[in-house]
Amino acid sequence: MIADRIRLVLIAVALISILTVVYLRLGDRTLAHLSQAGYRRAMPWLFIGPGVLIVGLTLVFPGILTVFFSFFDSEGTSFVGFDNYVATLSDPVTQIALRNTGLWVILLPSLSVLVGLAIAVLADRVWYGGLVKAALFLPIAISAVAAGVIWTFMYEYQPPLAAQTGTVNSIITLLPGAEPIAWIINEATNNYALIGATLWTQAGFAMVIFAAALRSIPDELLEAARLDGASEWKAFRFLTLPLLLPTVVVVMTTMTVIALKAFDIVYVMTNGAYGTDVLSTVMYRELFTAKDNGTAGAVATILMLAVAPIMYYNLRQFRRQSREA
Amino acid sequence: MQQLRSAVAGAVTAVLVLSACSSSDSEPVTRQTPEAPRSDVEAAEAAALEAAGGKTLDGQVTMLGVLGGAELDAFRTVLRPFEKATGVEVQYEGTRDFAAVLQTRVDGGNPPDVVATPAIGEMAGFAEEGELADLRDVVGDDVLDANFSTSLLETGSLDDEVFGIFNSVNLGGLIWYDPKTYEGPTDPASWEELQAWAAETAESGTAPWCVGLESGAASGWPAADFIDEILLREAGPEFHKRWREGEEPWTSPEVKHAFETYGGTVAEGVAYGGTTNVLSTNFAKAANPMFDEPAGCFILQQATFMGGIITDSFPRLEPGKDLDFFAVPDFNADYPGIRSISGEIVGMINETPQSVALVKYLATREAGTLIASTGRWLSPNKNVDDDIYKDYFLRKAAQVIAAAEGTYSLGNSLMPQTTVDAFWKAGLDYTQNPEDVDAILQTVEDTR
Repeated sequence: MIADRIRLVLIAVALISILTVVYLRLGDRTLAHLSQAGYRRAMPWLFIGPGVLIVGLTLVFPGILTVFFSFFDSEGTSFVGFDNYVATLSDPVTQIALRNTGLWVILLPSLSVLVGLAIAVLADRVWYGGLVKAALFLPIAISAVAAGVIWTFMYEYQPPLAAQTGTVNSIITLLPGAEPIAWIINEATNNYALIGATLWTQAGFAMVIFAAALRSIPDELLEAARLDGASEWKAFRFLTLPLLLPTVVVVMTTMTVIALKAFDIVYVMTNGAYGTDVLSTVMYRELFTAKDNGTAGAVATILMLAVAPIMYYNLRQFRRQSREA
Repeated sequence: MQQLRSAVAGAVTAVLVLSACSSSDSEPVTRQTPEAPRSDVEAAEAAALEAAGGKTLDGQVTMLGVLGGAELDAFRTVLRPFEKATGVEVQYEGTRDFAAVLQTRVDGGNPPDVVATPAIGEMAGFAEEGELADLRDVVGDDVLDANFSTSLLETGSLDDEVFGIFNSVNLGGLIWYDPKTYEGPTDPASWEELQAWAAETAESGTAPWCVGLESGAASGWPAADFIDEILLREAGPEFHKRWREGEEPWTSPEVKHAFETYGGTVAEGVAYGGTTNVLSTNFAKAANPMFDEPAGCFILQQATFMGGIITDSFPRLEPGKDLDFFAVPDFNADYPGIRSISGEIVGMINETPQSVALVKYLATREAGTLIASTGRWLSPNKNVDDDIYKDYFLRKAAQVIAAAEGTYSLGNSLMPQTTVDAFWKAGLDYTQNPEDVDAILQTVEDTR
């Protein structure tokens, strides 16, 4: 069984490599017939062609189709205009989801920058820094579903006086007079509990990016600042932080996108119960439970519109940086 | 949906078992699927060969279902004789997200050959779209009628076509208790008698009921199942049928009353740990406080599979001595002795020689016998001997069914998933805010 799979993978890899070589060879030979200027103009397309085609087929085309569906009824047969948008936006469930998605978008990026940056900067100053970094980085390797299950156990609740089986509550009840909290059920805490679980899986990523960016700041600069009498905080505030700003933007935007598409942890831990729905869980339910292509398309389009400006800003930033470099 | 849930329970109990391992003595804690008697396996192989038309077919058949872990291992013991006798390889794909996966694969033109699910309502939807074969043609009228009761066949039917036959059965509505600590009636004549004891116990300071509604994405189903059962037995099977078919609204007084009857088991002081604990306790762990010193609560309402879940977590419990059950007493003297069942049904999408042989095989008495031998499920096959049940709980459950005036499927397994989801959520919402019952019922009604 596994041997079969491995053979299949090897065949696929070989086939793709051969096809790529053949494609490039043939393409190059065909283009060689063009004039010098035409060759130069056509050559890039030869290289990006397959990529554009794949992205077009798997991303752009379904994306357009989704927007298209959002203007049709659940079967996708009759045009209904903006009805799906009006219906879903006036649904209290979607409104709660919008509120929560907003909460995610604000909290997840800022907290992961805070935690990631703090650990990246501070860990280099202590001997056990490597350990701290490894501990923060490891959860990246855990799938979101597993993380959801793990945190369900972490947040577990037992009635007061009974032995607390959840780690978080057993720590809290060590404090005199403190009562255990039903983190996932209590509507005052559950959204933060879910965001916290996601932060656990993502902060390591932010930290790695920041650690790499810190390495690129020349030591001489910091040394010069210190010689000029800058305190550690001032050196960080006026030297390190401004130099890291582009990295902060990258991490912020990545985390914003992750927050917008948050699904698995919410699905596993609450499935949107007790007011924890986010837009993706609403979309999933509309599509797979209610089998309503139209409303699901509308929710997806709203999500897409929310991501678009962030992606645009990210791209612009990226372009500016590469121009500066 | 019990199977789906107990598939989830399987994952949960795996973790529980691990923790039980570390805390208790080093006894073997995982329940192995007991081996079926050699003669039964041989009989099943012969039946499989006959289902395949007397010759080996080879090739393969794809099957989409909800089982995983130990439950899938148990079901594999039923499939193995078929594979051995016919040479057909059964590729079983288990998923928790059955409806979504099946819909995607049907839409993508790559449906599995055979499907097995407890979500009968979802299956009926696929049958309506013409995706499922009529098993009356495939298996044959005479075989179906000889092996299955009329009510089981009707449950898996749409108009005159049988789109699914039961593969396994769970008996719902059982009160689990620890005979060493429980001092209430074990054969109460009515629900009132049981609740009178419960009220007395609550007054003395210990909560009588153990309840747990958490179940990940399916949270709330234990409440929904119990309310479903209460409605069936309180308002009667005819009302229940009209309700699940959409002729009686969720807002009708009967439904409201069923919610309120259920509410009597989760009220403050009546359920262990209070509302918050009821909502946050996983159903698979709900019985745990029953075995605390001193017991935190005494009785738990759940279907047959709960016995396995509890003994998985507490392997030293001896069935009958440390853990036992009695059937939930009658709610209404007008409808005595009614029992609710749920189970997994098998349907066929692609008609190939291999898939036909598999479905024919699963409909045989021999395959039904192996289902019973797994010690996990009751067999839907009416020709299976009750003696086959080696498991104490299953043997007792088979007796309860045999003594019943009538058995009916739970309504929520027959409804579309949107309504089922809303029902589950209503179970949670009602437990949390019982005073909002009218608004909660209206929300479920709106999904119709």
